[in-house]
Amino acid sequence: MHSAFSRRSLVAGGLFAAACLLATALPAVAQTVDAIKAKGKVTIGMLVDFPPFGITDTQGKPDGYDADVAKLLAKELGVPVEIVPVTGPNRIPYLQTNKVDLLVASLGITVERAKQVQFSDPYAAIQVGVLALGTSPIKAPADLSGKRVGIVRASTQDMAVTAAAPKDANLMRFDDDASAVQALLSGQVDAIGISNVVAQQIRAMAPQAGYEMKFVLSRQVQGIAMRQGQDELLTWVNGFVAKIRADGRLNTIHRKWLGSDLPDLSKP
Amino acid sequence: MIRQFTFNEVLLLLGALKWTLALSAIAFAGGAGMGLTIALARTAASRALRLLAAGYIQVFQGTPLLMQLFLVFFGATVIGLDVDPWTAASLGLTLNAGAFLGEIWRGCIQAVPKGQWEAAEALGLRYFGRMRWVILPQAMKIAIPPTVGYLVQLIKSTSLAAIIGFAELTRTGQLVNNATFRPFLVFSLVALLYFAMCWPLSLLSARLERRAAAPTR
Repeated sequence: MHSAFSRRSLVAGGLFAAACLLATALPAVAQTVDAIKAKGKVTIGMLVDFPPFGITDTQGKPDGYDADVAKLLAKELGVPVEIVPVTGPNRIPYLQTNKVDLLVASLGITVERAKQVQFSDPYAAIQVGVLALGTSPIKAPADLSGKRVGIVRASTQDMAVTAAAPKDANLMRFDDDASAVQALLSGQVDAIGISNVVAQQIRAMAPQAGYEMKFVLSRQVQGIAMRQGQDELLTWVNGFVAKIRADGRLNTIHRKWLGSDLPDLSKP
Repeated sequence: MIRQFTFNEVLLLLGALKWTLALSAIAFAGGAGMGLTIALARTAASRALRLLAAGYIQVFQGTPLLMQLFLVFFGATVIGLDVDPWTAASLGLTLNAGAFLGEIWRGCIQAVPKGQWEAAEALGLRYFGRMRWVILPQAMKIAIPPTVGYLVQLIKSTSLAAIIGFAELTRTGQLVNNATFRPFLVFSLVALLYFAMCWPLSLLSARLERRAAAPTR
């Protein structure tokens, strides 16, 4: 089962590269704020398999921190919102092929991604670290030597852990957070690379097991993504993020979904 | 924000089940139409038709279904069309099914003894008459097991449509798992639902084979 996932995602990774090539052949549709208003609705893509930022509610509709931010953005724009569920591999192709106007999809701001899309100012931040049992002797990246470490494929955890772990650490890649967590809970891996928000939920689910964050690898800020060359839209979105930070609405959403106040949102 | 697994989650999965069934039905119906055309083209007298059909089959059998779905969905935008995930998944699966069914049925047509072809010609039947009354009925008898086998495979490969954002049964199972963190329960239920779809087909296949073989017993 593990190798079947990895082959499928290698194909998906290759497709992603192909789609990027295809996308460069597309005329970039430069959208202004007025163009979106004239269209009558704003389509926003978000993840639905990354709790608590993106999940599905009891009706199967998108919900979570990103959903609330997206709905607020649409309200400020004055148009109805259409939230489109996307996945890790296809979120940027969806944006590049004009199927969505914006991505509020927990996209960590990285230099590689900034080459393909434009990021707004950060609207969320998470820490990426390694979680293991309290009794585990792991204290630093070097201790991962020879251990099995679970990570979510193509996420920022993947990049951070792959960069920091020693060569003989056994890295096992899973499709989503729930699978990685399950691997840890059932003892199939010794530790997982995970964000602090999901770690919180694991501790809530299994308090007696005594999981703890062994060390923090990096801090990541997340931005709203849009196609390149849309400066007017970028200015508007940055203004929106600044506004909801200043008047406390973003903090309210953060407390609702993550149970704590907004962390430091400055770019690391 | 993990919620409990309740009957509501089962209803979500059943809702997704109907999408999987609908997608499989459309892909099989469209694929059957295309497959018959391809199979007849592969066994045609004209060499050009045979090569064209062979080329089509090689392309769709030789590339991953995942890639075909991806290219239909995102590639349509390059040529100026805007397709939604449902249309793209139906189209991609239809094209793929057409290639596989075409090849299966070509083999079954060619498995009909040469004597039947000659006898049909001797009776004065033209091409469509030969096919309709003599060759295809016999080929269909041979075709039942592999066709139903392919249909079962098609139902399971609809799960690949998740790459283009189509929320069918497997993907919905993943989403429910991410909301409830109960993978054994969720994925056992999903497997059960797939089995509930595929097993009746195998039973149907056995029944059809028995009926088709009745005159020769």
